[in-house]
Amino acid sequence: MTPTLHRRAQLSAIAELRWRMFVNGLRSKRGKMELVSRIIVTAAFSLGGLGGFAAATVSAWYFVSQGKAEFLAVVLWPIFFFWQVFPVMATAFTNNPDSGELLRFPLNYSSYFLIRLAYGFFDPASALGCVGVFGVLLGTTVARPALFPWALLVLLTFAIFNLVLMQTVFAWLERWLAQRRTREIMGVLFILFMLSFQLIGPMMERFDKKPRPELSRAAEIVTQLQAVLPPGLAASAIAQTSHAQFVSGLGSLLFLAAVTTAIGFLLNLRLRAQFRGENLSEAAARPTVAQAQGLQVGWNLSGFSQPVAAVFEKEVRYLARSGPMLLTLIMPVFMLLVFRLGGKGNALQHQPNFFGRVPDMVFPGAAAYALLVLTNLVFNSFGGDAAGVQFFFASPVHFRQIMLGKNLTHASILLANTALAWIAVSYFYGTPQLAVSIATVAGLLFATPLNFAAGNLLSIYSPKKRDFATFGRQNVSQMTVLASLGLQIVIVAIGVGVFAIAHLYQNLWIASVIFLGLAAISNPVYVIVLRRMDSIALQRRETLLAELCRA
Amino acid sequence: MDLAPTISTQGLSRRFGELVAVDGVNLRVAPGQFFGFLGPNGAGKSTTIKMLTGLLAPSSGKIEILGIDLNAHPVEVKRQIGVVPEGMALFGRLTGAEFLSFAGRMYGLDRTTAAKRAAELLDFMQLADQPKKLVTDYSHGMQKKLALAAAVIHGPKVLFLDEPFEGVDAIAAGTLKSMLQGMIARGATIFLTSHVLEIVERLCSHVAIIHQTPGRSGLARRAPRRSRSRHSLRIGRRRSFRREAHPGTTVPAHRGRHAPHRSGTFVAGMKAKFA
Repeated sequence: MTPTLHRRAQLSAIAELRWRMFVNGLRSKRGKMELVSRIIVTAAFSLGGLGGFAAATVSAWYFVSQGKAEFLAVVLWPIFFFWQVFPVMATAFTNNPDSGELLRFPLNYSSYFLIRLAYGFFDPASALGCVGVFGVLLGTTVARPALFPWALLVLLTFAIFNLVLMQTVFAWLERWLAQRRTREIMGVLFILFMLSFQLIGPMMERFDKKPRPELSRAAEIVTQLQAVLPPGLAASAIAQTSHAQFVSGLGSLLFLAAVTTAIGFLLNLRLRAQFRGENLSEAAARPTVAQAQGLQVGWNLSGFSQPVAAVFEKEVRYLARSGPMLLTLIMPVFMLLVFRLGGKGNALQHQPNFFGRVPDMVFPGAAAYALLVLTNLVFNSFGGDAAGVQFFFASPVHFRQIMLGKNLTHASILLANTALAWIAVSYFYGTPQLAVSIATVAGLLFATPLNFAAGNLLSIYSPKKRDFATFGRQNVSQMTVLASLGLQIVIVAIGVGVFAIAHLYQNLWIASVIFLGLAAISNPVYVIVLRRMDSIALQRRETLLAELCRA
Repeated sequence: MDLAPTISTQGLSRRFGELVAVDGVNLRVAPGQFFGFLGPNGAGKSTTIKMLTGLLAPSSGKIEILGIDLNAHPVEVKRQIGVVPEGMALFGRLTGAEFLSFAGRMYGLDRTTAAKRAAELLDFMQLADQPKKLVTDYSHGMQKKLALAAAVIHGPKVLFLDEPFEGVDAIAAGTLKSMLQGMIARGATIFLTSHVLEIVERLCSHVAIIHQTPGRSGLARRAPRRSRSRHSLRIGRRRSFRREAHPGTTVPAHRGRHAPHRSGTFVAGMKAKFA
């Protein structure tokens, strides 16, 4: 007899599954350390959440009590942006399990849809977004208790809109990221989008110093435009009702509900396709065209063995095929542009930013940032290799050679980035002093081996599989995040201290001497760690293979 | 006169916490054998092959490949063997040619030789028609063929294959089989795991079965030479296997119908030699 399917039983079984997976993950020492790291990260988020809640509550109370409820949009827009952008920017902190794995079970479509929404609800961004919305509700209710039922209805609709939109964005991103070429295009577009946001601040600083009529007109248009978008609609719905414009308020709410329904329809399109078992295999989509193949001889690195050169070539090819990674690596130059625009704007008010006040520190800052953007690669060297890491263990090559090949790639990227940064600094700020340039290079000679040594160890002790072609969904170990950040903070603190001493004595060459002295310590540390790589990798091979080879 | 074994294990065991995955396996595979390592799921086949290839450390026991202690000289052993592990160990974001060239150089071939052999192997495996296609875009069968090509690019004397025919269609399987038989004909030794008796019967000259028994059962006591406790190995010549290997029987190892070819080293990569 076929058993009857009970949706509630299925949903509770899935909830229990998630719980068991969490609990079972704590069996290993590494799982426990991941939990501790996650608790620290969550604590930091909670503090931010509490701050956001307080700010939302006070702001909402102020605007509503002053009879300016339409200004609630000022609170709702940041909530909206945080809810939508943060999950994509900081996937290391998000928790979106793959609901597609549940499709093998006899779930009906509505259950599947609900599960997707439920998974999204437990995402930290959603949790913090809900806290913010609750703050707005609390502030509104305290200011005007009579508004509570209406505000509850409006803000609930707004929260559902955000939840549905976040899932829609993810679902469609998944669709586009499922294929290599579109995945890379999406990555590039995403980073450009992010960069454009980073440029907005300095641009605003640059232009808003002088009253400009066209700017005022633009601001008016933006204000009108935001009023017909979901955060503005939610604010309008509450404001109009507070001003006894009930029909307008109801209209705004219905419009918001209609937008939510439309977004939900788009989500429905994606989820239905998934539910029916769509196949996004890119291999099937590619035309089979016979192409002539010439003999491809590998690269030669004079002074290094064949395996080291082979690993170097492989790493470079991997990076070259990853648009998102490439763009991440050129971020230091873009950041220089951003700081330059900001610095110039401030300079008009005779309030230059940090780099405007201390132009000597621009090149060291850019070089430090170049080192920082390598963190993802250096501290998770085998993440992109996935199951390929087995090959390294099966081949007759010492692990230290493999690590050396990878570190050579990282060092080459750092070298290229630092050179680009030097050119950009020269262009934007003027050629750095020779003493500064030498001190910066000496600083890198100290910091880079330390980063590589720590990165090599963490790559083996705390690996996470990652896809080079995706951006915003990088799976990073929480332990690695904490450890790498800790190391960067220490290195930056030492660097700042050394330059401070040099400035104190008004002789920047002192910095070079100190850095070279520190490099004399850090380089042997790197060599010692590298020499121990063989035994460490052998000891940790099971954990490494289990983590990277899992489906 | 008994030939020195190509693969030899003594008391090979592996524990995962409380779980004993492989316990006291003694194995001797003679040169030139096409050795099938058969057993049900979870019997310890993959664990054993991982230990034999250095992907997993044994809890106890000794492994010698071509007379070299794997634990003492892992790099020297790995130089002589080829491996297709369970997950195939491919680098998805390289093309087939790039991956094979990389593999060849990791096994000590110079750049030009690695590139030449890569081209030959791609041609033999019928993977040469899409040189710009990334490995991640290959079908499962194509990936299996590529993994095998990478394992033989340096001309190994011993080849370890973990479930090489799993998920492979008949045409790809035919290509794989012809390459493996060509290697045996040239004197290489192949150690293959499978849970499918039919595959092992068709291909292998010698067969061993590994299977778990509940605790230290009577079976272990009846097979003291091959199994010490929870695992039993039965080894026999392929043709006689069906007739003789009934539960609890230990069959002495025999040389297969393929005579060992000790005089020369198998060289992979030449199309003419595979055909």
